[in-house]
Amino acid sequence: MQTFYIKRDAPLQRLNPLSKVLATLPVLVFVALTTEPWTPLAFIGLIVVTILGLGRIPLGRFLRVALPLMLLMVGFLLIYPFVVREELVRNSPLLFELGPLRVYQAGAIYGLATGLRVYALVLLSLIFSFTTDASDFIRALVQQWRLPYKIGYGAMAAFRFVPMLQSELRVIQAAHRVRGVAGGGGVRGASTQARRYAVPLLATAIRQAERTALAMDGRAFGAYETRTSYRHFCFHSRDYLFVGGFWLASLLIIAGLWQARLLGPLIWLQQL
Amino acid sequence: MTMRETPYLELAHLTITYPGRKLPTVANASLTISVGETVLLLGASGSGKSTLALTLNGLIPHALGSITAGCVRVDGLETQTTPIADLTQRVGIVFQDPEAQFVTLKVEDEILFGLENLCVPPEQMDARVTAALTQVGMADYRHRPVDRLSGGQKQRVALAALLAMDPQVLIFDEPTANLDPVGTEDVFALIAAHKAQHNHTIILIEHKLDALMHLVDRVVVLGEQGVILADGPPRSVFFHHADALATHGIWMPQVCLLAQQLATRGVTLQPFPVTLDEAEHVLGGGEQGSGVGGQGSGVEGQRAGGSVREPRRWRPDPRPLALRPLAVEVRNLTFSYGPTPVLNDVSLQVPHGDFLAIVGANGAGKTTLAQHLMGILTPPRHTVLINEHDVSQVAARELARQIGYVFQNPEHQFITDSVFDEVAYGLSVQAIPVHEVAIRATTMLERFGLARYAKANPFTLSHGEKRRLSVATMLAVGQHILILDEPTFGQDQRNADAMMALLQALHREGHTIIIITHDMALVAEHATTVAVMNHGRLLFHGATHDAFAQPDLLSQARLKLPPLAQLAVRLGWHGVLTMEDAIHQCGARPLGVTYR
Repeated sequence: MQTFYIKRDAPLQRLNPLSKVLATLPVLVFVALTTEPWTPLAFIGLIVVTILGLGRIPLGRFLRVALPLMLLMVGFLLIYPFVVREELVRNSPLLFELGPLRVYQAGAIYGLATGLRVYALVLLSLIFSFTTDASDFIRALVQQWRLPYKIGYGAMAAFRFVPMLQSELRVIQAAHRVRGVAGGGGVRGASTQARRYAVPLLATAIRQAERTALAMDGRAFGAYETRTSYRHFCFHSRDYLFVGGFWLASLLIIAGLWQARLLGPLIWLQQL
Repeated sequence: MTMRETPYLELAHLTITYPGRKLPTVANASLTISVGETVLLLGASGSGKSTLALTLNGLIPHALGSITAGCVRVDGLETQTTPIADLTQRVGIVFQDPEAQFVTLKVEDEILFGLENLCVPPEQMDARVTAALTQVGMADYRHRPVDRLSGGQKQRVALAALLAMDPQVLIFDEPTANLDPVGTEDVFALIAAHKAQHNHTIILIEHKLDALMHLVDRVVVLGEQGVILADGPPRSVFFHHADALATHGIWMPQVCLLAQQLATRGVTLQPFPVTLDEAEHVLGGGEQGSGVGGQGSGVEGQRAGGSVREPRRWRPDPRPLALRPLAVEVRNLTFSYGPTPVLNDVSLQVPHGDFLAIVGANGAGKTTLAQHLMGILTPPRHTVLINEHDVSQVAARELARQIGYVFQNPEHQFITDSVFDEVAYGLSVQAIPVHEVAIRATTMLERFGLARYAKANPFTLSHGEKRRLSVATMLAVGQHILILDEPTFGQDQRNADAMMALLQALHREGHTIIIITHDMALVAEHATTVAVMNHGRLLFHGATHDAFAQPDLLSQARLKLPPLAQLAVRLGWHGVLTMEDAIHQCGARPLGVTYR
């Protein structure tokens, strides 16, 4: 399974996966509601420090994931000034003019704010995905948050299917090209193409799912209402410490921004 | 030899039906197996071998299918009324596909999975995981991710996951079908070691038989719908029922086939050999064929035209291969996914009319090389030439007119809703007039014995028919070069023979055939030349005989000699590779029969 998980003996990796969800969720909601560039910028700082410091993710590995994601931000920055609502930029100075296109200062700032906000949210999720083994997350969900184990393990088995189906699709595409199937032109061509891929792909997926299901049942999966667990998941003091610490750091950042009068109105407050 | 004590597994008048099928898959089958027996279960495709395996650990009827008559008892427990948890602790199955039987991502988690399902107390688990992994020699791999393991290692882990649950019966359902020669050997060694140390009851479903026969106490042969055609010690089954096995298209050990072929020529081996050791003994003592009695008088009358056959590879082009124009030329091709090269400076020349086998372990670069020939992967300029044209400069459609590629799974290549349209498709793509398409497609279907399925959906054909159809589609436009990836994969002996006879016929007509395969017996019987690959490099390209005469080359490329060639090495026979060679060597005259 392809995730960003990097196995390290570092504080973040040792945490219960659920505590990372608990720590980041309120921050996620808050940042999503901000409207100016300073808050996301400050949180990006906090997130980078957390990932590199507490997760001990090598800078190179971090940048290899984080830099391409920056394109998202640049995209917002480029498009937003042109699509922003007229009344928001009415009193703002004109930055430059490109024929019929006018870019106002306020529009550019909105673009920057939105880009940074989206980027902060994506980076925030990296705290979790860089440092968490997906199967541990499922185990913790099953053990602590009462996710039915049949669903949890079903999902885990399904994870294994994604790369299998990807490579299967590549083979089918190659197999069709060899038959002289030209790339479908237009919507009709594309839909015929999709249908042609779908049949063998589904046939394989069903066969594979059947085999996996038999292998699972053959090892007594679902035989009893409950199952025991080799690894016991619970919250340790380090988990409380991390959740508390992360919240406190976030509050300090917000307070600091408030003090410096950099914190703009939140989205719903603005709507009221 | 057999140990018929109290039966541990008991099928009584068993009938099994899958939903949506009219006919039962297994009808009125009765069989008992005792503790400690090692049983080889043989049968043609669709004879119900796997169905019986699933029945024995309760997956039928608990997970799928239904028992419509009779009953199954495991350790005295009726499976229909026993919870599946109790059955899985008695009978475990190692399946064919190592990928599909894993649920988790790490070796340790995979072993734990079953234990946790059985609600084993966590404090006992550590010891059981260690014990299970130690038994299969994988203790050092406990914390590895499963997808980094080789095929053989994956099957070891699959077995360990069962052993942790402590079953009495172990069923291996084609455990080596997806493995390369080294992986196959690894799994067989594992089964052998296990049998030597434990008193498990072992049921094997397999068709690479020669390397296994010394482990087998008993052979059970299934016919259609699970009818038991033969049941007994290997020697008596293969000796007395050879004809029935052949008519049903069931795989036999090569050694037994050899003995049987010799017998039809009036040469009887006493005792009838089943393992390589026995064959070595019976053929080896003193002068060639001490155990050989009688001479082949009157044998020739048994088959029409029993004259001595031409040398086994008949070539239509009178020029030697070396002087013929090249069908395929590869010049210093290097290719990499990421940092590691998959192909490393490969150069290869394939003359027209060659029958080439590309061999090597998994990951050696065989398929990647073949994909460059087809333009599936685009080679750099001037590195791959087909019929002396640079592949990188030829349009895909033009390339498809000159070269056909049959994928391992024929289903991947089907793009229409009927068998007829499948064959016609390639023709119409090439802008051939409609009436001519119809004529040519019909001729093609007749030649491949598919005419009566013209209107059927390709997905409804049997496995062997799907294969034939995919070959037909690849020759419809008149392609002269044909590449096949594992042409006999997953087929019973009859279908595999039919496929290879077809390829030989095409070869005789002048087609250039290139096969990619792990099956060394196939290579020995059919290929004129071999390209041996290892870690992206071409180690050897030359005559098949020369390749198999170099033990160092084979071990470097992680390959094995086919069974008869192993026998020949043991007996000091030189240049014996195929069934026909071996028969020659034994002094009998060959008849115009096709083997394998």
